[in-house]
Amino acid sequence: MTGLGSATIRVRLFAGLRDAAGWSEQEWPIDLARSPEAVWQQLQLDGDLQTVRVAINHAFAAADKPLQAGDELAFLPPISGG
Amino acid sequence: MQHPPHLQIELLTKPFEPLQKLEQWQQERNNTDPEASAAEALFIGRVRGQSSDGQPLCALELEHYPGMTERQLERLATACSQRHGVHHGLVLHRIGRVLPGEAIVLVAIAADRRGPAQRCCQEILEALKHEAPFWKREWRADGSGHWITGNTPW
Repeated sequence: MTGLGSATIRVRLFAGLRDAAGWSEQEWPIDLARSPEAVWQQLQLDGDLQTVRVAINHAFAAADKPLQAGDELAFLPPISGG
Repeated sequence: MQHPPHLQIELLTKPFEPLQKLEQWQQERNNTDPEASAAEALFIGRVRGQSSDGQPLCALELEHYPGMTERQLERLATACSQRHGVHHGLVLHRIGRVLPGEAIVLVAIAADRRGPAQRCCQEILEALKHEAPFWKREWRADGSGHWITGNTPW
């Protein structure tokens, strides 16, 4: 187990997902963050990852893509632009 | 030979007047590109006065993902413009609180022919609705806010 200040990722939530969770960003130890879907399971948020899109470092990514220290992982609820 | 498209893409925090923005865009093009494109297509989207379930709407709140939204708009617009071989594009999108009747999005495309101009304009609009991280929250008269989880019908 890594301690405080060691390798982490940043997890971000937006819009309805953030409001439901009650937080917008958290730091996670990389040891607990092998992939977006692993983080999603640990967050225990309402909803299905099927309806949420994943972004890593500002680009859409697959839910099973391995994460690396320093990554910014975002869970994006359904988009409605324009 | 294909030149890279000239794209102007902006997120605006304040109300904007689409026709003024279009005029500026056209003037800048005339100054820098004397051989003006023969075809232009444009789309202006405004906020409806009704919520998705038919109630009076006070305002629409537009949230975005700073950094990713800009990057994604750039990617989408560049790919689409190159695919259609268009010369110039203008994409403006509001963020923050937008009132009914105010413009929320403007897409304008200049090309040699009407086909590429219209197709590119339509494709960029659909792409930004589905592939750029924006979220809308409807604010109603009773003070409640509701996140929209999809797009309006075509």
